[in-house]
Amino acid sequence: MIEVKNICKSYNVIQKGEGFRGALKGLISRESEKVQAVKNLSFHIQPGEIVGFIGPNGAGKSTTIKMMSGILTPSSGEILINGRDIHKYRKQVVQDIGVVFGQRSQLDWDLRLGESFELLRHIYRIDKAKYEETLNIMDQILEIKPLLSKPVRQMSLGQRVKGDLVAAMLHAPSVLFLDEPTIGLDVGAKYSLRKFVKEVNEERNTTVILTTHDLGDIEQLCDRIIIINNGELIEDGNLEEIVDRIAPYKTLVVEYYDEKAPEHARCELFFHEANVAKYRFMKKDITAAALIQALSAEAQIKDVSIEEAGIDDIIRIAYGQLKE
Amino acid sequence: MKIYSYVCKMQILRSMTYKFNVYGNIIMQTIIMLTTSFFWKALYQNAETVQGVEIGSMLTYTVISSCISVILTTNVEQRITRSVEKGTIAVDLMRPVNIFAVFFAEDLGNVVALLFQNLLPIIFIGCIFIQVPLLASGASVLMFLISLCLAFFINWLLAAIFGMWAFTAINMHALLQVKRHLIRLLSGSMIPLWFFPEWLRIVLEAFPFVYLYQLPLSIYIGKCDGMSLIRGITIQLVWLAVLSFIFYILQKRAARKVMIQGG
Ligand SMILES: Nc1ncnc2c1ncn2[C@@H]1O[C@H](COP(=O)(O)OP(=O)(O)OP(=O)(O)O)[C@@H](O)[C@H]1O
Ligand SMILES: [Mg+2]
Repeated sequence: MIEVKNICKSYNVIQKGEGFRGALKGLISRESEKVQAVKNLSFHIQPGEIVGFIGPNGAGKSTTIKMMSGILTPSSGEILINGRDIHKYRKQVVQDIGVVFGQRSQLDWDLRLGESFELLRHIYRIDKAKYEETLNIMDQILEIKPLLSKPVRQMSLGQRVKGDLVAAMLHAPSVLFLDEPTIGLDVGAKYSLRKFVKEVNEERNTTVILTTHDLGDIEQLCDRIIIINNGELIEDGNLEEIVDRIAPYKTLVVEYYDEKAPEHARCELFFHEANVAKYRFMKKDITAAALIQALSAEAQIKDVSIEEAGIDDIIRIAYGQLKE
Repeated sequence: MKIYSYVCKMQILRSMTYKFNVYGNIIMQTIIMLTTSFFWKALYQNAETVQGVEIGSMLTYTVISSCISVILTTNVEQRITRSVEKGTIAVDLMRPVNIFAVFFAEDLGNVVALLFQNLLPIIFIGCIFIQVPLLASGASVLMFLISLCLAFFINWLLAAIFGMWAFTAINMHALLQVKRHLIRLLSGSMIPLWFFPEWLRIVLEAFPFVYLYQLPLSIYIGKCDGMSLIRGITIQLVWLAVLSFIFYILQKRAARKVMIQGG
């Protein structure tokens, strides 16, 4: 159970003067400017949920993840994980949290993967039997065992992310934060990552919060999405509900035999080029079948297809990059 | 506790496998030892003793001073600076540990590794080219070790307090160099304060640096005993208490101010 209550975070960005004089001045007085990265964010997450945390670049996703995992302290507001304030009881609460940053590793560059895990085993006080058991389970999902003797500095990105995922799960946390875990991964590696998230969620009831720019991750994993932009919450809810609410239309793509495209009162012809026309219609106004019938009465149709508004459109609408 | 001793052990292994910087420091210390010993030999040409200290003791002072510099190696400031620069400080903060205890364990591990990689070669070189360190008495060696231990903690606390600046992403590389050389200069590690003018000596004795090098060194060569020894150790204890207090207050606030660079 995660409760985020009115958290704000502003960064102090230090203004550096130009050149040598600026550097000297910087030693004495440091003018800083506040950048509001997260503004008054609140939400609750139930145990066992998989929540997709999405928003454009610079929206404040990573900042929020860092606050939820105890790395950054919010400027104001509070975050409770399983009922305890993470910043007051950081040492105890992080025992129950796993974190993976896709672009940064928690593995020790100088050690072999196995040695790195061994270090974590001591840090999180995991007993040997439990550790072996977790490793076996992880091996079934991610085939990690062949990598154990490999130095971390020699691993490929995909191998390293696998290593990081296992590292985050060794102490069997009840909450797992993944910040852009699929960044830079190939199709196969993405597939095993998604399999990993699903299995961990189903078998151990682990709560997963992930940020991603890969819509495939969202569609395949998340029951719920939270959209933020400019540090503010924009949407929070079930994926289909949000789609129905902010993009309750379908698109009919029709290919005609000639270039004339008829119009229809209950839909909008928003695209017409050569033989192809696209109509946007509300589900409540007209059915696809009725629309095709009406159109075919006016011109000869060669081919049709229907596009549902997908998460793609949702995100663009929510980000304000597409007008409704 | 077990966590930190494991961290320390891992650090020993790591330092043993990656011998960065080790040879550089041996060469550096050799140069310092040689030049200071030439200086002493020149100074003592016309005198048996200066300020009640013989040439043999002064050469011992020089060799042991280089040895102490190995024991007083700290990495905590560099460690914080680099972690903040690279953003890996996030990893340190997401674990159920006290980060300063981890830094201390790592520094301890480093020093243990340096005992073999640095201290032994330096003693060896010192014995061959300068002088086999003389022992004043068994008791003075014991008191020396106690004083050195205190110096180790004082030195580490100074480094940690200094290193906390780096949390707010100040570029510290140049400052760290300045601090290192300033400490060696102001602590009497090369030229003891009894050669300095009276007023400067009094000023420097008000800072903690003298208690890092000169005090344990004078104890070793037998120049500091009786009342002055008790006084010296007491001042060390006071500094230890004061710095521990400052450290305790600051470390609570420091972690809150951490800058995490990069997405
Ligand atoms: N260390 C920092 N110092 C100053 N400003 C920062 C710092 N880290 C992030 N910011 C600013 O805070 C805002 C939010 O950044 P954040 O990294 O949380 O975005 P994000 O949603 O994760 O973006 P992305 O999808 O690109 O990863 C941005 O405007 C960014 O410039
Ligand atoms: Mg990010």
